[in-house]
Amino acid sequence: MQQREEKQLESSLESIVQRVNDLKSSIASMIFKVENEYETLNWPTFLDNYALISGQLTSLSKVLSHDKCPALRSLTVLPLMLSPERDDQLAQLTEHRVTTFAHDLVPDYLRTKLEPMAENKMMQLEHKASTLTYDNAQKQITAYQKVVSHVWELVNKAKEEWEVESTARGSTQQNSSVADTHLLVAAVGMGKGLKMGTAPNGQPSQTSGGMMVAPQGRPGGTPGQGSLPPNTQAMTMNKAPSAIKTNIKSATQIHPYGR
Amino acid sequence: MTSPGTAIDSLNAALKCNIIPNQEYLLQGSVLDQYVEVLLHRLRGLCDNVDSGPESFHDHELYFVLRATNTGGPMVLPLRVRRALDVPDAPWQLRYVGQQELGDKNRPTVVRSSIDMACSSTIVEFLTELGCRVEFEYIARGYMFRKGRMKITVSKIFKMGNIANKSGEGVEPISQSYLVELSVLAPSGQDAIAEDMRIFAEQLRPLVQLEKIDYKRLGNLP
Amino acid sequence: MGVTVLQQFPIETRTGPSTIELLSKRISALGAVQQGQFLVDCETYTSTPALGHQRTVHVLHNSEQPATVFSILETGQKTIPLATDGLFDLLMMKMSGFYTSKKQTKAESKGPRYEIGDFCVKLGTVTVSQNFKGILVEVEYRPSVVPALCWELMREFLQGFLGSSVPATPPAYLQNRMQELYTPMDTIHQYLEQFTIFRKSPGLRP
Repeated sequence: MQQREEKQLESSLESIVQRVNDLKSSIASMIFKVENEYETLNWPTFLDNYALISGQLTSLSKVLSHDKCPALRSLTVLPLMLSPERDDQLAQLTEHRVTTFAHDLVPDYLRTKLEPMAENKMMQLEHKASTLTYDNAQKQITAYQKVVSHVWELVNKAKEEWEVESTARGSTQQNSSVADTHLLVAAVGMGKGLKMGTAPNGQPSQTSGGMMVAPQGRPGGTPGQGSLPPNTQAMTMNKAPSAIKTNIKSATQIHPYGR
Repeated sequence: MTSPGTAIDSLNAALKCNIIPNQEYLLQGSVLDQYVEVLLHRLRGLCDNVDSGPESFHDHELYFVLRATNTGGPMVLPLRVRRALDVPDAPWQLRYVGQQELGDKNRPTVVRSSIDMACSSTIVEFLTELGCRVEFEYIARGYMFRKGRMKITVSKIFKMGNIANKSGEGVEPISQSYLVELSVLAPSGQDAIAEDMRIFAEQLRPLVQLEKIDYKRLGNLP
Repeated sequence: MGVTVLQQFPIETRTGPSTIELLSKRISALGAVQQGQFLVDCETYTSTPALGHQRTVHVLHNSEQPATVFSILETGQKTIPLATDGLFDLLMMKMSGFYTSKKQTKAESKGPRYEIGDFCVKLGTVTVSQNFKGILVEVEYRPSVVPALCWELMREFLQGFLGSSVPATPPAYLQNRMQELYTPMDTIHQYLEQFTIFRKSPGLRP
C-alpha cells in the first residue's frame, strides 16, 4: 500500500517537474527574444509564444488538480542539516541560483505557511468578518453584485458592437478593386491602354512590318478610367467619405490581437 | 600568379553553382487611392526600413521588343528599360522578364525568369539600333519598402501624354488605384521564399489582396 | 583611372613568348613590378538576316573592370557603346536567335601586368580563336584623364622601352578625342580597333 503511494508520488512529481521545466524554458526563450530580437520580433510570433506559455500553465494546473496526484500540501520537507558551506551539487541542481543550504535561505525556500505579517493581516480580516452582522454583510454583497453586473453589461455591449462591426466590415468594406488590379497589371505587364500609335522616335523599322497594330480598347481619347460607365465613377466618389471612416477604425482592429 | 579566367568562364561557373538571381517570385494587387495612406502606414510598421522611412521613386519605364521571324517561327524578346526621373545621375536599368509560370495551386507565387542589370544611358539608342521597338511606356511613381529579401512597391501608374515630356510632367494616371507588387529576385529553386511571401501578403489583407495574376486571362480584358 | 594608349609591337623575327620576355626584361630594368595578369577579350555577334540590314555587336570584357561588360554596336552608320553589369552575357545568350557569334572571331589579349610609378603597363599576347596574331602593349597614365595633356609624356615613356616602333601621333581613335575626358569605354574602343586589324591579318607562328 505504502509502496504504491510512494510510486504514485514519484511519478506525479516527475511530471510536475517536467512541466515546470517546460514552462521555465519557454519563459526564458521569450525573455531572450524580447531582449535580443526586439528589432525583428513581430506580433504573431510574440503572441504564439504567449499562447505556448499559457497552454503550459494550464497543463501544469491540470496535473496538480488530477485525482491521481497526491495532496502535496499534506507532505512535509524536513531540513535535516544546514550548512554555510558551498554545496556544488545543490548549485548545479538549481542552475547556480542557490549555492548554500544555509539558515538565511532555507526559511524562504521551504516555507509552508504565510509570512507572519501576512498571517496577521489575514487574522484581522477573518476577525472582522466574523463580527459583521448578517444584515450588514448581505447589504455589502448586493452592492458589490450590482457593481459587477454593471461592468459585465458594459463589456458585453462593447463586445457585441465590435462583432457586428467586424462582420459588417468583412462583407461590405472594400479597400481595393479587382478591376483596378487587373487594369494596372495588364497595363504594366502588357501595355494595355499604354500603347502608342507611332513609335516615339517616329522611325519606322523595316523589320517590324506587322507590329504597328492600332491599340485596342481606346474609344475616344482616354483609356482606362475614361471607359468606365459614368455612374460607377460617381458612385465611388459618393461612397468615399463614409468608407474612410470605417477604415480608420478597422486599421486599429486588424492589429494582430485580432488573430 | 594565375591568369584571370575569361568573364564567360566565370559566368558559366556562377550559372553552374546556381548563385545568379535569375528568378523573380511575384505577387500583385492594388489599393484604392483613398486607402493608400493606410497601406503605407501598415507597410512602414511591417518592413525593415522603419527608421529611414519608405524610399520614394519616380521612374520612367520603356518596354522594348525585339522581333524576327525565323524558319522556326516568330521570335520575340521583350526588354524593359527603367530610369529614375528623380535621380538623373543614377545608372539606368535593363531587364529581361521571361514568361510567367503560375504553377499549380500549391505554389504561392508567380515565378518568372528575370535578368536584371544596371547599364549606361546609351541603352535606349543601343536597343533601338539593335532592332528593338518601343511597344509602350509609362511613368511609375511611388514608394519602395524592404522586408528581408522581399521588395514591396506601391506605385501610381501614369500614361505618357501624347507629347512625351522628358521630365515626366503632364501625365495622367491610368486608374484610381495604386499598383502593389511584392517580389523577390533569387536563384532558381529557392521556393521557400515564396512561402515567406505568402505569409507577408496575408498580413496585408484585407487592405490589399496580393495574388498570382494570370496574364493570359487578362488578355480578354475590355 | 587614367588615359590609356594601346599600340602593336612588331615581333619581326622573334616568337611571341620571346617578344614578351624581351619587353618584360626591358620594363623590369626600368623598375617596374609585376602586379598580376590581365585579360581583355572580345566576342562578335552579327544579326541574323531576319532582322533586316546587318548589324554587329562586339561584347568585350576587361579584367581591369571585372564587373562590367562593354558592348559596342555597329550599324554601318553609327557606333553605340554600352556599359552594363556582368549579366549582359546572359542576355546575349537569350538573343542567340537574333544575334549569332562566329566562333572563329573570338579575340583576346592577355599577359603580365606591370606597375611603375604613375604608369600601368600591360604586355598582351593577342590570339584570334586560339591562333597567335601579335603583341599589344597597353600603357595607362593614371594621374590624368585628358589625353591632350599627357600624350607627349606617354609617348616619351613608351619610347623608353619600345624604341622606334612608337608612332609620332596618338592612336587614330584618340586623335578626335584629345580634349575629352577619358573613360574605360575609350580603352575598349582602342582594343576593338586593334582586334579588328588582327582578325583581318594572316596568322603567325607562335
